[in-house]
Amino acid sequence: MLSLLDKKIIRLVSRDMPLVDRPFRHLAKKAGIKEQALINRIKAYKKRGLLRKFSAVLNHRKAGFVANAMCVWDVPESSVVKAGKIIAGFCEVSHCYQRKKYPGWNYNLYAMVHGKTKDECIKTAKKISKKIGFSDYKILFSSREFKKTGVIY
Amino acid sequence: MSRRENKVSKSQSVKESKLNLLDRRILNRLQEDIPFLSRPWQEVSKELNISESVLLKRVEILKKRGIIRRIAATFNPKKCGSISTLVAVKASLLMTDKVAKKINVFSEVTHNYLRDAEYNIWFTIVAQSKKRIAHIIKKLKQDKDIDSIIELPAKRLFKIDVNFKV
Repeated sequence: MLSLLDKKIIRLVSRDMPLVDRPFRHLAKKAGIKEQALINRIKAYKKRGLLRKFSAVLNHRKAGFVANAMCVWDVPESSVVKAGKIIAGFCEVSHCYQRKKYPGWNYNLYAMVHGKTKDECIKTAKKISKKIGFSDYKILFSSREFKKTGVIY
Repeated sequence: MSRRENKVSKSQSVKESKLNLLDRRILNRLQEDIPFLSRPWQEVSKELNISESVLLKRVEILKKRGIIRRIAATFNPKKCGSISTLVAVKASLLMTDKVAKKINVFSEVTHNYLRDAEYNIWFTIVAQSKKRIAHIIKKLKQDKDIDSIIELPAKRLFKIDVNFKV
């Protein structure tokens, strides 16, 4: 389980870090530990899979990826794993999940597809469909972003 | 600076939306892990063959322009004891702004988008417990501006890697 110190560190490093030459020293001070101790913990989180990535988070629209589409497929249960693995191989896809179906919403495989234009996304979705061999899908473009923040721990 | 001059320089900075090659190299590199070293920027600047001060300056500008939202750690919520889910809402087109605002009130809502489908508002929740998620959904269900709401928790994760080749 996570200790109180771990939780404190997770909270601290989830926020935008200051642009200074020794950012970990700055964060360590806030956590009340030594710089190297913080770095060691971060490395351990990465190893344990707690930490996915310590990186820049872009505003993808401003970085030129104006179009983002949530693409959803109806794939039979027996083929979901195979199809999901194929979709994961596409570099245009950032997220891919299997989700529950609902009456009136008969889709179970979800992929976030990014592109510089809507057309690019449509093409990617078509390519994916062809490769997984299931053609019942829908493309949901986002027309507005109401909120996007990091997780608050 | 006079007001007019100010206007001109503003519109110029908006026009300057193209990213140069160095910016692209920086953005592509920084979407991977920063080095877990005392001086991470020094290491990255060596990789990019530029000086540390130039790197920090460019990153500062990219942040000011809003291209970099933040430089921070992203955790696996599940492994940190949190629960995440995806929720879809049907609302009349005239009501979407109002509904989105009500959804965003919850600090556990991390992403929220308007999408062109019968379910037109899609948002994610990362919360401390299933109970809390149930509570949020129950509250929203009672809202008369929301026609329908479904929760679509993930059953299996195949990929999560946000990395844009800029």
